[in-house]
Amino acid sequence: MDKVKIGTCWLDGCSGCHMSLLDIDEGIVAVLGKADIVFGPLVDAQEWPEGVDVALIEGAVSSQDDLKLAQTARERSKIVVALGDCAVTGNVPSMRNGIPTRKLLERVYVEGSNQGAGVPTDGVPALLKHATPLHEAIAVDVHVPGCPPKPGAILFVLGELLEGREPDLGSKLRFG
Amino acid sequence: MATRKPASDTAGRATRAPAVKEPVADAAAALPAEARRPMKKITIHHVSRIEGHARITIKLDDAGQVADTQFHVTQIRGFEKFVEGRPYYEMPSITSRICGICPVSHELASSKACDEIMAVRIPESAAKLRELLHCAQFVQSHALSFFHLSAPDLLLGMDFDPAKRNVAGLLEQNPDALRDGIALRKFGQQAIERLAKERVHPSWVVPGGVNAPLDPQARDKILAELPAAMAIVKRTLALWKKTYDGFPNEIESFSNFPTMYCGLVGPDGSLRLYDGNLRFVDPEGCLVADQVKPADYATYIGEATLADSYLKAPYFKPIGFPDGIYRVGPLARLNVADRCGTPDADAELAEYRQRLGRIVQSGFHYHYARLIEATYALERMAELLADPAILGSKIRAHAGVNNLEGTGIIEAPRGTLIHNYKVDDNGAMTWANLIVATGHNNLAIGRGVLQVARRFVDGNKIQEGALNRVSALVRAYDPCLSCSTHALGLVPLILQLRGPDGELLDEVRSE
Amino acid sequence: MTDKVKVRIDGEVIAATAGQTILEAARANGKYIPALCYMEGLSAVGACRLCMVQVSGVARLLPACTTPVQEGLAVDTMSPQLHDYRKIALELLFSERNHTCAVCVSSGHCELQALAQEHGVTYVRYPYNYPRLEVDTTHPRYVLDHNRCILCSRCVRTCAEIEGAHVWNMAGRGIHTMLVSELQRPWGEATSCTSCGKCVQACPTGAMAEKGWGAEEMTKQRTVVSRLNSMRGEGM
Repeated sequence: MDKVKIGTCWLDGCSGCHMSLLDIDEGIVAVLGKADIVFGPLVDAQEWPEGVDVALIEGAVSSQDDLKLAQTARERSKIVVALGDCAVTGNVPSMRNGIPTRKLLERVYVEGSNQGAGVPTDGVPALLKHATPLHEAIAVDVHVPGCPPKPGAILFVLGELLEGREPDLGSKLRFG
Repeated sequence: MATRKPASDTAGRATRAPAVKEPVADAAAALPAEARRPMKKITIHHVSRIEGHARITIKLDDAGQVADTQFHVTQIRGFEKFVEGRPYYEMPSITSRICGICPVSHELASSKACDEIMAVRIPESAAKLRELLHCAQFVQSHALSFFHLSAPDLLLGMDFDPAKRNVAGLLEQNPDALRDGIALRKFGQQAIERLAKERVHPSWVVPGGVNAPLDPQARDKILAELPAAMAIVKRTLALWKKTYDGFPNEIESFSNFPTMYCGLVGPDGSLRLYDGNLRFVDPEGCLVADQVKPADYATYIGEATLADSYLKAPYFKPIGFPDGIYRVGPLARLNVADRCGTPDADAELAEYRQRLGRIVQSGFHYHYARLIEATYALERMAELLADPAILGSKIRAHAGVNNLEGTGIIEAPRGTLIHNYKVDDNGAMTWANLIVATGHNNLAIGRGVLQVARRFVDGNKIQEGALNRVSALVRAYDPCLSCSTHALGLVPLILQLRGPDGELLDEVRSE
Repeated sequence: MTDKVKVRIDGEVIAATAGQTILEAARANGKYIPALCYMEGLSAVGACRLCMVQVSGVARLLPACTTPVQEGLAVDTMSPQLHDYRKIALELLFSERNHTCAVCVSSGHCELQALAQEHGVTYVRYPYNYPRLEVDTTHPRYVLDHNRCILCSRCVRTCAEIEGAHVWNMAGRGIHTMLVSELQRPWGEATSCTSCGKCVQACPTGAMAEKGWGAEEMTKQRTVVSRLNSMRGEGM
């Protein structure tokens, strides 16, 4: 039987949800027995491949790059999982949303600079007006809240998906 | 108004956006004719296993050789702005979310800044508990970096089949090494969990100390697991000392240029991770600034904005930008400190210096330095766990706002981490400056990318291993958001070389 | 006079007391109806819409906390429809302001967070509002974060009815409603505030907290209000 193809990525996140996934420690070997991780910060691939079964996406959608990656992942994956509070609710990245992006960039790159003050534009993506949850950019199939979600919860979700079932999180998880 | 320098003068960094902005196009198949640039370009669209999001642009001249490179960091969160107005004592938990690999580092630096605002000297037990947590974090983070991130390059080879140059490949070729890596990281994470209740974003570290004492049983468990962890580091060091000679080209070209170095030291000049003062040394190891108090960091460290990266570039102010380039992190710390201060680590350090010289310059040796620091962190954990004060019940000082500014500096696994806060009389944040460890290395990484690209990348024939080396140079710095397991995948890496008219000249695919 | 009133709650016959609301009768008999703006010891206002129940014979749903019992009343406190409506109410609350649970002082002890978990709310289907709201740090001992306020008005009623100082009020209308102290002065300048802190204890979320606590540290004494109320021999 073909291994399930899993793709992961982080958008505007801190990688804590990926760390929580890895906190299943030796459990990762069992996961790898059933699945191939075909894209992600864990892999050197440059482009999200076609035919991904499960996409684990961490982080809010905050820049043009994030948006593009989220859309590509959605197009090329069967099931999309919003992993962690940033992807599910916006969380800490969305704390910037009450501030116009121009003011944000000026504070960091003009006021906060001793040299060469000016907002970077070369080779870096533009910021979106708001850092939003994933489902405001693409359709999401499963939401896994938590900051980060516990390793056991992530393993549960993965396990269900690998068996072809929709995970019923019920009242197992909470925000924060 | 900043002066503009041609890209080549600043060794790969633009200081300001050019007045007429050329369209920045991805070196991908669908390039419209109008957007094609006269210069050939290779893009590594996302550098894997580093701080979330970075891109490398390699520009080629007409002969197909590397003319210039750019290291673009493409993520900005805005922490320094959106915390304005929030109570200062929320900063540890908010800044924790800057990074999921080393949240503890931010919580510690933040709490130290808050301690200053409160004008408290935290209880002895609290300081020792914080340092214990910090050392545990060092162990897990350095384990991650060496084993999960870099070991596929280092133990399997830079040119190893990319499809297998990852944890799965390690499992086949060198399963003991992989198991060691998982076990070592687990030791550190479990210690963190035993102290702080959670592995990622624990809320245990607070302004004034920590919020719960250490349970004696938890202490005993950590002590019981320590020897196995130490054994892993020892045998890995033994293996690495026999192995690194196999990388002469990398040693020669991975950021192998003189820079200053910066790190925290104790009053006696020994290595400090949790508490200390700043020291800067020059490329020969002479003191440039010493015992600089955290509150005075801004006298010596300035931040430059770059046109092509969301990551600012810190530099040594007395010398100026960009000549005031300096490095932080394991390589820098071992250059800066006179000694570690624990027996095994000092023995290893003596051998390291005997082999490589008192000041080690090549960025490739970050890996060796990291293992010595892991040794030190484990020894320090043993010392702290044996100290009766570690079980003390007085673990938190309470106070209100007594200073309108506070600065907390610690050595994170990746380098010097600075949190500087200003508050009003009510305790609301008015201003925050965060200089995050990897940031100090921005100029060095940029220059290093140019050096390694020049050494390995031939524009007339791109080799996958060459581009991997460019990425590996960045990985040697272990930038902040590196991710645990290495490449596990089978996705083609496609690199294209296009001529001036867009014609495909060469393509390399990993399958 | 405490006349008994016979009502049926979820099929079970209950002997309620005249003058009780459906919510009070239910809770007195071990029947759970979720609520956020209701607090034992305070007047009820029916603001949060979580306690909506189905009264047989009445076409629309009624808030249990403000609907008095009547002889022969039959009430369903739970149904798939009610569960859905409660989820909607909770999600709308989350979407209205900026609830960043991960870094909140009340995380783990918050009534809003707990109710969301209880009802299986794993995400908010409504677009977030992202208002720009301030944190009032002017009081020496307490802090008010408007981002976390759900306008339940428990603080308003606690201060007015239990402490008698009436520092808090609601100003504005609709989406612009804001909690204000006195005539919109910073809390630290409110001269009628006695710093008793009961409003902080009554607040269901992390909007009001004692200064100095980090994330997850603020636990509240939620029974203070009802204890004080009954000690004064008021209410029931």
